[in-house]
Amino acid sequence: MSVTTAPQAPLQKPQEPKRGIASRALEALLTQRIVLLAVLIVVVLLVMTVLDGADILSGSYNSDYLAASLINAVPLAMLGLAQLGVILSGRGGIDLSVGSMVSVTGIAFGMSYGLWGWNLVIAMIFAVVLGGILGGINGALVSFIGFPPLIATLATFYAYRSIALVWSGQKPVNSTEIQTFYSAAKAIELPLIGSYLPLIPLGIFTFLIPVVVVVWVLLNKTTFGRRVYALGTNNTAAVWAGINVRPNRFAVYVLSGLISGLVGIVTVAQFASARPDAGTSGNGMALPAITIAVLGGVAITGGIGRVSGVVLATVLIVWLNAGILLAFPGNDGVQVQLLALGLVLVFASLLNGLTRRRYGGI
Amino acid sequence: MTALVTEPTEKPIVRRILPPPVTGQEFVLVGVIAVLWALLGIFTPSFLSPSSIQPLFVSVAPIALIGVGMTFIIITAGIDVSVGGAIALCAVVTAKLLVNFDVPLIVAVLVSMVLGTVLGLVNGVLIAYGRVHAIIITFGTANIFQFFALRIFGSSTVNNIPSTLDVFGRGESGRTLGVPHSFAITVLVVVAAWWYLRNTAGGRHLFAIGGNANAARLAGVKVQPRTVLAYAITGALVGLGACFFIAAGTSTLDQGVGTGRELAVIAAVVIGGTSILGGRGSVIGTLLGAILVQTVNSGVTQLGWPSQLANLFVGLFIIVAVGTDLLRERARRRKA
Repeated sequence: MSVTTAPQAPLQKPQEPKRGIASRALEALLTQRIVLLAVLIVVVLLVMTVLDGADILSGSYNSDYLAASLINAVPLAMLGLAQLGVILSGRGGIDLSVGSMVSVTGIAFGMSYGLWGWNLVIAMIFAVVLGGILGGINGALVSFIGFPPLIATLATFYAYRSIALVWSGQKPVNSTEIQTFYSAAKAIELPLIGSYLPLIPLGIFTFLIPVVVVVWVLLNKTTFGRRVYALGTNNTAAVWAGINVRPNRFAVYVLSGLISGLVGIVTVAQFASARPDAGTSGNGMALPAITIAVLGGVAITGGIGRVSGVVLATVLIVWLNAGILLAFPGNDGVQVQLLALGLVLVFASLLNGLTRRRYGGI
Repeated sequence: MTALVTEPTEKPIVRRILPPPVTGQEFVLVGVIAVLWALLGIFTPSFLSPSSIQPLFVSVAPIALIGVGMTFIIITAGIDVSVGGAIALCAVVTAKLLVNFDVPLIVAVLVSMVLGTVLGLVNGVLIAYGRVHAIIITFGTANIFQFFALRIFGSSTVNNIPSTLDVFGRGESGRTLGVPHSFAITVLVVVAAWWYLRNTAGGRHLFAIGGNANAARLAGVKVQPRTVLAYAITGALVGLGACFFIAAGTSTLDQGVGTGRELAVIAAVVIGGTSILGGRGSVIGTLLGAILVQTVNSGVTQLGWPSQLANLFVGLFIIVAVGTDLLRERARRRKA
């Protein structure tokens, strides 16, 4: 249109072209991460059930097995939520030290409850508060001194892991008290309708669901949560909007430490001993936690991410891993799980990038 | 700030004639290392003997060598945490070639370097063209590399690795005039990398990408190919470094050969003064950082302390090194 001609019609937004249901379904699949995850969970369940029916799996992939495997979801989802808060806060937020914090707080809990004979509740509070302090060190380095989170938590990953190993003399802490604490990880029957359903691991109710609820309320129903999203979306804008950025960024790292403290207690129950390498053995706990967060649709640049995505991503990974263990028995299964986790992380992050460019959101 | 040539005025005459290979952070590091060596020399009489210093430099070599590549990557504001998995994969392939197929050493080393380059290319292409944050991609590929390494290992170790690799450093055959060959090669690579970063357009482009990728692109830098190159170079150095790791050990290669190495390398780079935010960095600092990290490791063992304590010190060193860098940066900005 040349400049001289008067506009014939009032300026209108161009009419959206009529789109088929397939195109809209694709957009929903790509922009609504929970839709994609729900579809993928169904796919995993279907594929594994078919494999099971064809007698390819070494065990049966039934509801009891799936329920029992949920025990692995407890630490995974909790640490995924810890990463959610930290990554949401933006500025390259990430917490590599969660595994080390799990190790230290696990040893703290094991020592205080199992060896020094502290009351169970006090020992738990001790472990969680210690986790909060360790997270606070991360938070202080990042928010008050201005360390890049990657480097701050890399340094504390080293330091905390070292503390856990030296404190425990590189040996697991074990005693009768800790062994009986194993019952905290046992599977239970749900009240009322439980007899019709598979047994559910107790940790889901005592640790995971409370943490999910608390994190969801914090992020979605409090001003603190809005501030975290705001400073992840645009830190400068958040400053000019009058948000006191530093204490809020500090707080997400403390939250990560507190959750790691709870996971420390969970691992003591699961292993029936406090292991100094509980959170750092193999590839450590930070990697799966970050994978869960990214798969759950959390944008690594901050400001985008939801609790529901993290929870569904955990369920997907846990049930996928459970199936892999049946399809590849023994050591092979553990290795294939590594491969699957890596492929899922690469795939999910490429997908996040594609979705962001094409639709401007996740 | 180390190698930027953006401050042409008011330089001391000596500096103008001899472009400084070392600046603030490097001088501090040399000082810290000297103090540590002096203290260790006093408290453990054996520390400064050749039988103790030579193994120290054999262990420095692979960390510093791979650190050169990591410095390139971090200068572009990227990171590679898949180095541990890549080391494991290159090392086990090299070891298997030497043990099962009896290939000449040079072939095994070349295969390892080519394999490493391919792994680096995978990372680089995914990061540069997938436009995804480097840490996420390399976290993913770390697992994938680890998987293939474990598969090739089969059982948990490779035994009876022939001693041909000794030529890189361990024992008499690996030293000339008392200098381990692996360390000499590393120093050569460091010097070449320093020259590349300082005196070639390609090197300057890496700084430009790390400083501001968009500005660099508008200024005509081919951002994506340069980024891929940085990861590929790191891969090639990982391939060579993996051979150094095998050569530094016994005739048995363990599955855990790569575990945690990426962190040691990143620690060396960061302690050496390279900014994790990109745009600033020095390979000579990385060499000094690697010497510092390995001195701490070796010192803790020789003092008879729990070996795990070394990691606490490495963590503290990272915090102090980055912290002083941040404070200096803040002071500079206040002055400006």
